[in-house]
Amino acid sequence: MRSILVGMIFLFNGFLLGTVSAHESQPGSLEMKQLAPDRYDIIWRAPIYYGRPHPAQLQLPEDWETIGQPTERRRADAIVFNRVITTGGKSIEGKIIRFPGLEATITDVFIRLKRLDGTMMSTVARPTKPWAELRGERPWYVTAGEYLGLGFHHILMGIDHLLFVLGLLLIVQGRMMLLKTITSFTVAHSITLAIATLGYAHAPLPPLNAAIALSILFLGPEVVRSRRGETSLTIRFPWLVAFAFGLLHGFGFASGLSTTGMPKAELPWALLWFNVGVELGQLVFVFLALALAWSFKTLEVRWPRWAQALPGYTVGSLGAYWTIQRTVILLGGLF
Amino acid sequence: MKRSLLHNLRILLGAALSAALLQPSEAAAHLVTTGMGPVYDGIGHLLLTPEDLVPALAMSLYAGMRGRAPGRRALFLFPLAWLLGGFAGLSASGTPTFPLPAISFLLLGALIAADLRMPDNIFTVLALAVGIMHGFFNGIALKAGPSGLGLLGIMAALFVLVAIVSAFVLSLKPPWARIAVRVAGSWVAAMGLLMIGWFFRGQG
Repeated sequence: MRSILVGMIFLFNGFLLGTVSAHESQPGSLEMKQLAPDRYDIIWRAPIYYGRPHPAQLQLPEDWETIGQPTERRRADAIVFNRVITTGGKSIEGKIIRFPGLEATITDVFIRLKRLDGTMMSTVARPTKPWAELRGERPWYVTAGEYLGLGFHHILMGIDHLLFVLGLLLIVQGRMMLLKTITSFTVAHSITLAIATLGYAHAPLPPLNAAIALSILFLGPEVVRSRRGETSLTIRFPWLVAFAFGLLHGFGFASGLSTTGMPKAELPWALLWFNVGVELGQLVFVFLALALAWSFKTLEVRWPRWAQALPGYTVGSLGAYWTIQRTVILLGGLF
Repeated sequence: MKRSLLHNLRILLGAALSAALLQPSEAAAHLVTTGMGPVYDGIGHLLLTPEDLVPALAMSLYAGMRGRAPGRRALFLFPLAWLLGGFAGLSASGTPTFPLPAISFLLLGALIAADLRMPDNIFTVLALAVGIMHGFFNGIALKAGPSGLGLLGIMAALFVLVAIVSAFVLSLKPPWARIAVRVAGSWVAAMGLLMIGWFFRGQG
């Protein structure tokens, strides 16, 4: 039975292993800076997708003309295209910027326009709406909605964050302890998210990723221990672990926000609404997990022993896999 | 002798799995790169496709109405049948022209509206048949996209959906709540009728 269980876990990991590079949700960005009344500097940052150039193209309005030679710089995580255009004396209000190819991806593109008078406009093109209309200042709630959606999307797409929350849910016993633990995690990642986004501290991604994976690996044996009725510091005080590792996860969330290239003026709003989005996503996940547990109880599902152990082993083995993978990447970057 | 053979088979299976897993895979470790994209695509496909979502909800409602044992049976068999049908669909070459999903709307909706009791075996066959049929159509639709992992995502989403919805229906105590579920079933049946009507009108 144990060999079947181990086989199943490895098989599940295998599904993930084969597709580690399958989807890249790092956003793209388009920065437009007005140089003269009818002249704009345009920087299109297309993230690397599947290890290849991004399938989305930048398509500017037909009556805009490129001045001089466009440039192209390849970076580790993106290709940056730069050009200066003239609108031929016409206004850019109401013009549509398109991103053909974006609809076949899961990438969002953040568009920012900085005018000569200092006013700014930002908007987002998404796979479901691969274009953006240039227009005047937007009401605050539109911008807030976009950052809220980004935070919500970031946590629900980040299986490593969710797996950590799941690990905590599997350890926690009792409603009060659940509340304490989730609140601790929220407070901790909000602190580091704010610190990192406001630029007071910075965590380099490779070691951060490895540490986040380690936090998931750490929870695996604790879940198994908890199921066996044993105790440990983590089982007695899960909120403490949630707080400590929550600080790490906050830096991870910050990486999702900082790559959007938001304007400084939008920073406090962006931080606030992104965090609200993250919390909402986390609450949805916790609610779903609790609803599922309640459903099993209502339907009187009797799990065999091996199935009861499966969540703990899944959390642990995925954490181990990501720890090894990310440590290898970290070491590869050092040497 | 038999035991030793089984033991060797297990070792062979373990070795084969290990060999498959140790194949080099491209390592792209951005924090938000989870490798779960196709699975999410599958979940999204189910939740955004009313042709699949409504019969899945209807099956869950009906399972909940029938009680704990059918609820448990639907919880495990329905997603599994969907997955198997999906794998069959991945290797299918054409798309059936008859609107089979509309039939499942009509059938499940009518069963809910009538609150019809049926023997456990027939309920099992129903869950398997509806699951396999919708899975088959999904397999065809996902062939060019997230394929197998997408089907896994659909199966996971179905498992959660069936569990929560059937348990919710099961927990409903007031008599009017059961009537409300039956009304919902009649809407599903009406949708099925409309879909069949559109199909034949289009043919004509």
